[in-house]
Amino acid sequence: MTTVHTRGRPVRPARVVLRVFLTVMALGWLFPIAWAVYNSLRDFDYTSVNGYFSFGGFTFDNYLEAWTRGNFGQTFYNTAVIVIPSVLITLLLASSVGFVLARFSFPFNLTLLALFTAANLLPQQALLVPLFRLFLNVELPYEVSDSGSLYDTYVAVIAVNIAFQTGFCTFVLSNYMKTLPKELTEAALVDGAGVLRQYWQVVLPLCRPALAALATLQITWVYNDFFWAVAFMRTGDKLPVTSSLQNLRGQFFTDYNLLSAGSVIVAIPTLVIFFLLQRHLRAGLTLGATKG
Amino acid sequence: MRSPRSFGVGGVPALSIQRRTLLKGMLGAGALAGLAGCGGGDGDGGGGGGGAVTFGSNWSDEVPKNAIAAMMKGFSGGEVSINTVDHNSFQENINNYLQGGPDDVFGWFAGYRMRFFAEQGLVGDISDVWSDIGSGFSEAMKQQSTGSDGKQYFVPLYYYPWAVFYRKSLWQERGYEPPATMDDLVALSKRMQGDGLAPIAFGDSDGWPAMGTFDYLNLRINGYDFHVELMAGEKPWNSPEVKAVFDAWRELLPYHQPDSLGRTWQEAAQSLLRKESGMYTIGMFMGQQFPEGAERDDLDFFPFPEIDPAIGTDAIEAPIDGFMMSARPRNEDDARELLRYLGTAAAGDAYLEVDPNNIGAHDDADTGGYNALQKKSQELVGAAKSISQFLDRDTRPDFASTVMIPSIQEFIRNPNDVDGLTKSIEDQKASIFGG
Repeated sequence: MTTVHTRGRPVRPARVVLRVFLTVMALGWLFPIAWAVYNSLRDFDYTSVNGYFSFGGFTFDNYLEAWTRGNFGQTFYNTAVIVIPSVLITLLLASSVGFVLARFSFPFNLTLLALFTAANLLPQQALLVPLFRLFLNVELPYEVSDSGSLYDTYVAVIAVNIAFQTGFCTFVLSNYMKTLPKELTEAALVDGAGVLRQYWQVVLPLCRPALAALATLQITWVYNDFFWAVAFMRTGDKLPVTSSLQNLRGQFFTDYNLLSAGSVIVAIPTLVIFFLLQRHLRAGLTLGATKG
Repeated sequence: MRSPRSFGVGGVPALSIQRRTLLKGMLGAGALAGLAGCGGGDGDGGGGGGGAVTFGSNWSDEVPKNAIAAMMKGFSGGEVSINTVDHNSFQENINNYLQGGPDDVFGWFAGYRMRFFAEQGLVGDISDVWSDIGSGFSEAMKQQSTGSDGKQYFVPLYYYPWAVFYRKSLWQERGYEPPATMDDLVALSKRMQGDGLAPIAFGDSDGWPAMGTFDYLNLRINGYDFHVELMAGEKPWNSPEVKAVFDAWRELLPYHQPDSLGRTWQEAAQSLLRKESGMYTIGMFMGQQFPEGAERDDLDFFPFPEIDPAIGTDAIEAPIDGFMMSARPRNEDDARELLRYLGTAAAGDAYLEVDPNNIGAHDDADTGGYNALQKKSQELVGAAKSISQFLDRDTRPDFASTVMIPSIQEFIRNPNDVDGLTKSIEDQKASIFGG
């Protein structure tokens, strides 16, 4: 690289400053993660005696122990049970609403969109108590639910996640759909396609980048949720993967090396999803930005 | 972007596949959601009374979890299905948990935290169980298991005392002696400072560890009865008594490790381990920070020193953990039977054999296997006239966490405005306890 610089244009000071700045920022972001990974590979007794700024005591045991102690096998499954339906149903509902709001003009159209968007600003925690009461009052037979109500069921957690995520997704999808040329659906209409067909076969496939981008975000958000799961579940074996990290924190004593190992395990799926859908995510974000 | 035309031609076959997979996905989602709803049912063999006793456990750490499992195995009256929820979540959600159909029997704490829920009718009266197991517990234990209405709601399992911990080897090397009075403590601290040590290890980044110091100063200056009344909201916080506690603490603060708000108790304990600090007021769980073996055996403690000779040192802070029954257990007979078993010395021994970091609450607990620290703790608590539970267990949980944690941290940051601080605590207390 340096040869290119010396042969071609001279290195400008601004360029050097930019490089240094970017390098420092990148290192600043990477450092805590690298630090956690580094210490997750070390023995607690070693770092306890020698401090974290030492070198040595390397072991892989933290990962094995974190996996069994955090009960990750079970909790990853529980998370899948919550995340998959939540994200699919959210996207389905949000795209339906978004389609209607973007394609049809009727009174209160904008008001409705504003309502969906405004709901995002509501602090979720404020609704905890009413929702808790609500779920508790939906009585179910004991064969269906141990608690005799919707409380302590996945349905409760999934429903709440869907309800809270639909607003944001509707906002994004309806704006995205507005950018699609009107002529498309008009042509489909002339060809005799009904509203459902226009939605399912014309608009939805074109929304693929936006859907992929939203899916990435939604999966990450619902995956990271700890609040609702803990609030509406009382059975330890039903809790999602975020609770595994909590399991690794002791009542008084926390083995931070073990916790780092657990954090790395928890972070991996989100990274995988991000890298898989990264291309769509970028395309989706920029496509939504221009209107026309 | 693709033109509408090319989409119309090329898109359809691809679309139908996508649609089918999408549909499959939806079906899968529906099935999963259905499963989720039913999933709960297979836990207890069909529900509807009769089945196993359910036990809600907040003993989520590895060792206590195994200890609970070993303990439940000894119950001969039927199967116990254990539902373990991590300690912190369980504690923070106890309100939801108790109102949302809790397990038949569950783990909880003695003291105000037990009485609080007993008063609200969220836990079951187990006085009949106590008439069977009562002879095995001391009067102090029974008192800690009794609600404000005089009925019993709690079966104690173990306790762990708070004291001032130090490393024997360091103290021997430097010729330090455990201080008996506050003056001795200050003199010792000055000596340690001269020797280049931080005299008192201290870390309050989590907010609760410093409560131990507050409690002990309060117990030594004002006595146990005042502690109980103060915590119950019956005594004002801006009284001269409470101000005296903060004043005494301010005298001691120069000997505490500085910048304690950025340090967790574990880091403070580590400084003790590395012989950078001299002593530490903390609970017995501190031992877990020390590597097992020579280093852990090097730990010793002395009771928090005397301040007022008229009050002495006969009050010890020793939080008790144990069991309660839910208000309407689905399997009530077996639940009572289980609590009867949990109140026996054999059950306690089964637990402590696996988790020796605590002291059995039962009078006949087997002390043969106790290590030196456990034996000393047992003597300490056995000789105590009264046992306090810890600030956040002896008062309303919301008061402890939303008022006392920030207030104590504020005091550590600025120890000079005791009048303003105690007035602010009293104002907030009035609103939380309802005037």
